[in-house]
Amino acid sequence: MVNAGMKRLPFRITVYALLIALSVLFVMPLYWLVTNSLQQVGAASTFLPTGLHFINYKYALTFIDYWGYAKNSIIITAFSVIIPTVTSAFVGYGFARLRGPGKNVLFLLMLSTMMLPGIVTQIPTYVIFFKLGLVNTFWPWFFWGLGGSAFSIFLYRQFFAGFPRDLEEAARIDGCTTFRIFWNIFLPISLPVVATVSILAFNGAWGNDYITPFMFLQDNKYPLATALFSIGYVFPGQKDITMTQVQSAGLVMFVLPIIVVFFIGQRYLVEGVVASAVKG
Amino acid sequence: MNRQVVHGTDAAFHSKRSRFRGRSFKEAIEFYLFISPWFIVFIVLGLIPLLYGLYLSFTNYAGFNMDRLVFVGLDNYRKVFTDNDAMYSLGRTLFFTVIMVPSTIILGFLLAVLLNQNIKRIGIYRTLFFIPSIIPVVAVGTMWRSLFVDDGIVNKMLEALGLEAVDWLGYDYAIYPLIIMLLWGVGGGILIYLAGLKGVSKDLYEAAAIDGATTIQRFVKITIPLVTPVLFFQFIMSIISSLQIFVQPILLAANSNSLLSTPLRPNYVYSVHAFQQIFAYGRFGYGLALLWVLFVMILILTIVVFTTSRFWVFYEVDQEGK
Repeated sequence: MVNAGMKRLPFRITVYALLIALSVLFVMPLYWLVTNSLQQVGAASTFLPTGLHFINYKYALTFIDYWGYAKNSIIITAFSVIIPTVTSAFVGYGFARLRGPGKNVLFLLMLSTMMLPGIVTQIPTYVIFFKLGLVNTFWPWFFWGLGGSAFSIFLYRQFFAGFPRDLEEAARIDGCTTFRIFWNIFLPISLPVVATVSILAFNGAWGNDYITPFMFLQDNKYPLATALFSIGYVFPGQKDITMTQVQSAGLVMFVLPIIVVFFIGQRYLVEGVVASAVKG
Repeated sequence: MNRQVVHGTDAAFHSKRSRFRGRSFKEAIEFYLFISPWFIVFIVLGLIPLLYGLYLSFTNYAGFNMDRLVFVGLDNYRKVFTDNDAMYSLGRTLFFTVIMVPSTIILGFLLAVLLNQNIKRIGIYRTLFFIPSIIPVVAVGTMWRSLFVDDGIVNKMLEALGLEAVDWLGYDYAIYPLIIMLLWGVGGGILIYLAGLKGVSKDLYEAAAIDGATTIQRFVKITIPLVTPVLFFQFIMSIISSLQIFVQPILLAANSNSLLSTPLRPNYVYSVHAFQQIFAYGRFGYGLALLWVLFVMILILTIVVFTTSRFWVFYEVDQEGK
């Protein structure tokens, strides 16, 4: 079907026309975001930039404590990327290569936690952390990180389950402990999954973790995701009028790390997501 | 003699079995050890808060009265179903779910079919289609809002085409920016769809072509049935995420400058209502009841979809036995 279709010229032209039109459609909003970030403050939106006011970026960094919020983002992201990437591998290995009573039930339980709307547990969790005196600290992210993430555990499990038993049997005969087998044999070969999991965790933590900080932290500890939205760039004394151009500049800088990380890890992400979805 | 042999075998059998037991006992311990980080955190920061929240949803918890909680039985739950705003917002959430689930699946799938047409440099198009789905929602919402404001680029385009500008963020049109914004991220599923499409054996198409099937027949009779497992996966995922839709309407709200901004009525969805009850009005117990109702609805819907899946999801018998 595929090849036969592509041999016909009109069909080919239609396909490429559609591809280009759709590409434009998908990229246009981002183009306008960048354009808007370079417009003079207060200027109207235009199709093409009417000037290159890079000063907006300086405003974006100085009108609010941008670096302070970025630092908070970095702390939260580090906790949410580094720790769960390692612990998820650990747990995923357990589910993939070790046997114990109740394993299937536990695995299903783990998968079903993905369905749970986070907000249902968030408020009681707040109460618990409040009682422990850990509200308005970054410790909660450390503890959440220790548990890994269900989706990452699933990805690792799928990956580790695909190897023959011989791999660890030989090592076991040589006297390797299970931990050594995991650490020295399985972890090094799982780098593509490590990359996938890290990218997903990075996107989640840097970009989409905004409600939890809103609840658990005070203004000055907000990460960018929360601050850019709830503090924002307003004209002094007129808190209802946003300086859209400066805000756009702030957003461009906020989104940039996500895009850079995506391009670096794209290859792994494609493989990783695909492997999990198709095998699962 | 005979007896001895039997006895010997028996002994060997026993020692082998106990060795096996020893190994499998040790392995079980190791298994629990390995999954313990997840399990402990799941209990402490998952299950306990979940049940604690369930308990609080039966109380008059208001955020400060922890030491004199009053158990109110099913009052909060009864209120959910008599609260006009809750029912109205549930209706809005269902409305967006009914629109978004089919359209994201159909459009996402069609994008993947398009990309599957033996295209040169497919990677570029795939990336461009996919990128919107990785942009953080906070940025997406703020960006679209600035495109839809009165003197924003969307109205500029309409004017350039000789049409009248529209009050996109106002009452009459508010649902369109929201739907457009959500559809912008439709490319998020293409990686999975493409994998599903690549998995369809070429032999099937060739065989069908020999039998004289048209392109459309082949698409309907071969492609679609064989990718139903992938469509099913996306169906579940998009139902779950659509029912939880929360921040996008807030970001498009007229006075949007915090998570507590309220969207206009057409975009006033259920999660926003729950969030408002908790954080704007301090009705924690009631808000938790609202959230539990949503959670149970999601659970029931997922189970229903799962049980019906055997009637429409095609599972290929895996010949490699993996």
